[in-house]
Amino acid sequence: MLKGIAASEGIGIGKVVTIRQQKVTYEQRQVADPDGETERLHDAIEQFKERTEALAQEMEKSVNPKEAEIIRGHMVMLSDPFMVSQMDDMIKNDSICAEAAAETVLDMFKMMFASAEDELTQQRATDVEDIKTRLLKILLGIEEADLKTLPAGTVLVVNDLTPSMTAELNRDNIAAIVTESGGLTSHSAILSRALEIPAVLSVLNATVTLKDSSTVIVDGSNGEVINDPAVSQVEEYEARRDEYLKEKEMLKSFIGRETLTLDGAKKEVFCNIGNPKDGIQAKERDGEGVGLFRTEFLFMDRDSMPDEQEQYEAYKKVCDTLEGKTIIIRTLDVGGDKEIPYMNLVKEENPFLGFRAVRYCLQNEEQYKLQLRALIRANNDTTGNLWIMVPMVTTVGEMKAVRAMVSDLAEEMDMKMPKVGTMIETPAAFVIADVLAKYCDFFSIGTNDLTQYIMACDRGNSNVAYLYKAYDPAVLRAIRRIIESGIDAGIPVGMCGEAAADPLLIPMLISFGLEEFSVSPTSVLKTRSEIARWSKAEADRITDDVMALETAGEVYDYLMKNVAK
Amino acid sequence: MVSKVTKVVNSQGFHMRPATVFVGEMAKFQSDINLVCEGKTVNAKSLMNIIASAIKCGMEVEVTADGPDEEAALAKAVEMIDNGLGED
Repeated sequence: MLKGIAASEGIGIGKVVTIRQQKVTYEQRQVADPDGETERLHDAIEQFKERTEALAQEMEKSVNPKEAEIIRGHMVMLSDPFMVSQMDDMIKNDSICAEAAAETVLDMFKMMFASAEDELTQQRATDVEDIKTRLLKILLGIEEADLKTLPAGTVLVVNDLTPSMTAELNRDNIAAIVTESGGLTSHSAILSRALEIPAVLSVLNATVTLKDSSTVIVDGSNGEVINDPAVSQVEEYEARRDEYLKEKEMLKSFIGRETLTLDGAKKEVFCNIGNPKDGIQAKERDGEGVGLFRTEFLFMDRDSMPDEQEQYEAYKKVCDTLEGKTIIIRTLDVGGDKEIPYMNLVKEENPFLGFRAVRYCLQNEEQYKLQLRALIRANNDTTGNLWIMVPMVTTVGEMKAVRAMVSDLAEEMDMKMPKVGTMIETPAAFVIADVLAKYCDFFSIGTNDLTQYIMACDRGNSNVAYLYKAYDPAVLRAIRRIIESGIDAGIPVGMCGEAAADPLLIPMLISFGLEEFSVSPTSVLKTRSEIARWSKAEADRITDDVMALETAGEVYDYLMKNVAK
Repeated sequence: MVSKVTKVVNSQGFHMRPATVFVGEMAKFQSDINLVCEGKTVNAKSLMNIIASAIKCGMEVEVTADGPDEEAALAKAVEMIDNGLGED
């Protein structure tokens, strides 16, 4: 079995067709007529643009307009008059042929892009390489490999899937894609996901190891390629593929629908996001709001604090993207385990019990006020319903202090006061949940940290990781108590940890009275479909049984038997 | 020559799409327009050079313009950067 990056979900079984992008070679010549050579270059560039426009138009039909824009970008790049004049100058001054001039200049930009510090710019280097290869082929009169005529059931094996290749693919005939390079955010990955073709990327030596017309299984969900599978394996994977496709169709039927239990009680499925761009994904995946927007991305990988305006733009962007929906934004959750040099946090012996999150923020009031002001403004200026969520609360005093700050700032700015609530993730917060509720407009249960703190185990430490289970009766009792406290106080309760998306726990969460389930964007439909399986009565029955059990193991076995499909 | 210092506010900085829109507008002016960022000077009419400069959100940029329509060019460039380069 070959391993690679699981870039596009699904299973494909078919016969290998390898496309080797051979290196385009030519002999570098001195030219006698530089003007004629410059003209030849410009003709080739024009032809490049015409062909690319034609490809882009095909792509709009076969893939979608957004992906076609990637390839239109190639036209824009090659239209840069300053880059083209650099090529012209080389032809004129050094009397070299158009091929050499184009390659030298494009290679230079490729190097510059590849050595940039940010990933997005680095990826543009792939575009420059694609542009170069296609421009050289036009200059040399080399025909492109024809991908339109690939037979049905093809597993396409390539070094790298270029945007121009993708435009030509007939998706009905391609069972799967395997490449030797590219990561999760590469064009190859984005395009194969857009085409809904299973893909495994960065498989070492795939074009050599996988032989033409041999049968392979490509598991795009797990990043595995099985070469020359046994008949039994093919059968097994065919069954899994059919199961996957059936599930995918079933989930599609939940798009745009309200989240309802079997007996019609309204629930909400929100998304957990880490940056404003994820907001777009949350919307595309049909999230009904944002249950956790982590703001750390704004503060990390930089030399100084983001100012109020920059923070405001980021928060506003998410509110604008998910117009009118509830957006719960967690204030800065830094601590000894996350390094942010300019904040001068010292390394601690025990960072999870140390100077972090709200503890740090309340000691650095001026800095915290910047974030709170940005949040109040974003809430005021958009139709979004922005809620402020305070992490790592252990005492009522912390909640009172933050509320007072938000209320003073809102008054000072003459803006409406956003809702302020807490993420319940410490044992102290759970024990005093009934008291905390008086000072909170909402609760959100962060089950990842809550589990870790209740069980007093570091989930990163493999010697004690066995204790880290949301199925533990201790954790389940805590979750029940928190939800009940919220309901008694009349405030909404959500959950933003991994447990919210766990099909095994969903009936219990319904029974406890949880209203909002915040999950990763890719899990929205799945979670909605799981919620739809349960009526309150049935969920209560499961809960009664489970709450009588004594260990995490017993709970898990029971849920596997009675809840898992 | 005229110049002004401003700050990139859109989350993507000068990436493909925002840079394309920006370059398209700058091409309409006769003046030479440059962006100076972290000591590097970049031709504001060259998409490739702008992308290579990887100017990110939060960075300070000095815009300079030199030529017959320098005032208008500078005003437009600063306005576009301040308005987030049309990023949506």
